Amino acid sequence: MSFDDRLKDLKAREARARAMGGPERLARRQAQGRLNARSRIEAFIDPGSWVETGLLAVSSMVAQDRDKTPADGKVTGFAKVDGRMVAIASNDFTVKGASSSATNMKKVGHIKRVATERGLPLIFFGESSGARMPDNMGARGMGSNLGHDPQQYVRTRQTPWAAAVLGQCYGSSAWYTCLSDFVVMRKGAILAVASPGLASFAIGQEVEAEELGGWKLHAQVSGLIDRVVDTDEEALAEIRKFLSYMPSHCGEPPARIFVPAGSDEGSRRIADILPESRKRAYDVRKIIECMVDLDSFFEFKPRFGRTAVTGLARMDGRTVGFIASNPMGKAGALDVAGCEKATRFTVMCDSFNIPLILLVDTPGFVIGIEGERQKAPGKIMNFMQALQMCTVPKLSIIMRKSYGQAYLNMGGGRNSDDVALWPSAEISFMDPHFATEIVTWGQQVSDERKQEIRAQMEKDNSAYGLAEIYAAQAVIDPAETRRYLIQQLEIHEMRLSGGVGAHRMASWPTTF
Amino acid sequence: MAITKVTSEVIGTVWKVEKSVGDSVLEGDLIMILESMKMEIPVEAPIAGILGEIKVVPEESVEEDQILCLIES
Repeated sequence: MSFDDRLKDLKAREARARAMGGPERLARRQAQGRLNARSRIEAFIDPGSWVETGLLAVSSMVAQDRDKTPADGKVTGFAKVDGRMVAIASNDFTVKGASSSATNMKKVGHIKRVATERGLPLIFFGESSGARMPDNMGARGMGSNLGHDPQQYVRTRQTPWAAAVLGQCYGSSAWYTCLSDFVVMRKGAILAVASPGLASFAIGQEVEAEELGGWKLHAQVSGLIDRVVDTDEEALAEIRKFLSYMPSHCGEPPARIFVPAGSDEGSRRIADILPESRKRAYDVRKIIECMVDLDSFFEFKPRFGRTAVTGLARMDGRTVGFIASNPMGKAGALDVAGCEKATRFTVMCDSFNIPLILLVDTPGFVIGIEGERQKAPGKIMNFMQALQMCTVPKLSIIMRKSYGQAYLNMGGGRNSDDVALWPSAEISFMDPHFATEIVTWGQQVSDERKQEIRAQMEKDNSAYGLAEIYAAQAVIDPAETRRYLIQQLEIHEMRLSGGVGAHRMASWPTTF
Repeated sequence: MAITKVTSEVIGTVWKVEKSVGDSVLEGDLIMILESMKMEIPVEAPIAGILGEIKVVPEESVEEDQILCLIES
């Protein structure tokens, strides 16, 4: 064979690999308005920046599959996104359902190692059916294919991970999604341990795919995803946006960018949003949007754990993470889902050198049997421990109510580097009426005596009570909050470590 | 014409309905107030338009995500 012929042979092999599962399967996807594994990459990256690894890899277990497994069903490589290098694994469902095999697991293992060791964000485009069969069947199949990488599912948060759930996600797509820092899901996609078919065959449970693992379940009930979109293209845009807030790795702070004109204009609207009546609820997201750089608020899990709001934003061009109680959800009383959401977000921000801002308006934790059944005390302590283990700057603004243990969980006292109060703040252990009933519980106490006890309980619960004993550092006009936070972020910059925290929770779970 | 469903963020009861069918609303206008956890929860128009239908009455219990009213725009 001449060298020219060898080159032609190489080109032909490359073309076969890039043809994926063939024109018919690709056309069907296109007709459904769905991108394929390669067009997803093209739509995601800076044009011309793709560097593929393993293009010519094929199935190695079953001889007759060698010609039917272009790139072995998982397209892997490196590319630039907004000028920054990232690693990408894109599942090709048109090739054996992007099932996991001996070869493609090596490919994914390689880009994971490179991303981790060289400090690159890692992106998964999820759409896979699970382990390949019959490759993985039997003792030899299992022993040959699985379990050779003792770090396969270890998450130590050296670099940010993001996942898009873009089709059926069982097996590795589901696992890597759950290990990621940010997850976006396209409506119509499914994320589950196993398919409805297997649920039906194995345990006799007849269930629709949407009910088993659709977007509503994960957005509202499980909280496993952060954002929901209608199209593949929107999902890719959401990941690009997420990355724009993040550093490439844990050893650097996020990039600081320009501040859009008009960013200082919103602050004066806060007083209009905050109701005069302490009984009137409001949407804390509107207040966040007034304080941050214009249009920079990027909310995580808006439909899950609605007692708290979490999201990334920018203040004076710096990435910050917000944890805010939301009076629109259960009066801002943190529930189990709210605690889980806040814990996960705290761990992510701390791991990637992102300062935290806590906005507080909470009457306490949700109490009652439902929460206790869901391990509420444990969830509250997970959140509390996460906050206390944080080494990134923490700034707390008590807007209105801050009661009981939730005062500590939301950064009260030395649980923040700085606590400021609005004049509307009220701080105590619990409502004086409840406190009176608790201390007289089971006793014969006259109404007069209860009145006396209640008078003792009704101590000064004002912002000034906290400021006068320096349990808070300042009382500020809400309109000054943006300026105040920007000053505090500058004061508390992590200069001694070059903007990098201690990452004491880097190996904490990604779901709670 | 587009119909926008306005849903409840919370489990609670309807306390006051501030608008009537046929009223025009601007984005952010108060339509009704719910009561939940001893708090007043405002329900505001997510979009400008005409109030097409109000599906609840004062003192009625509402569930999370229940449709409260429709806005035509």
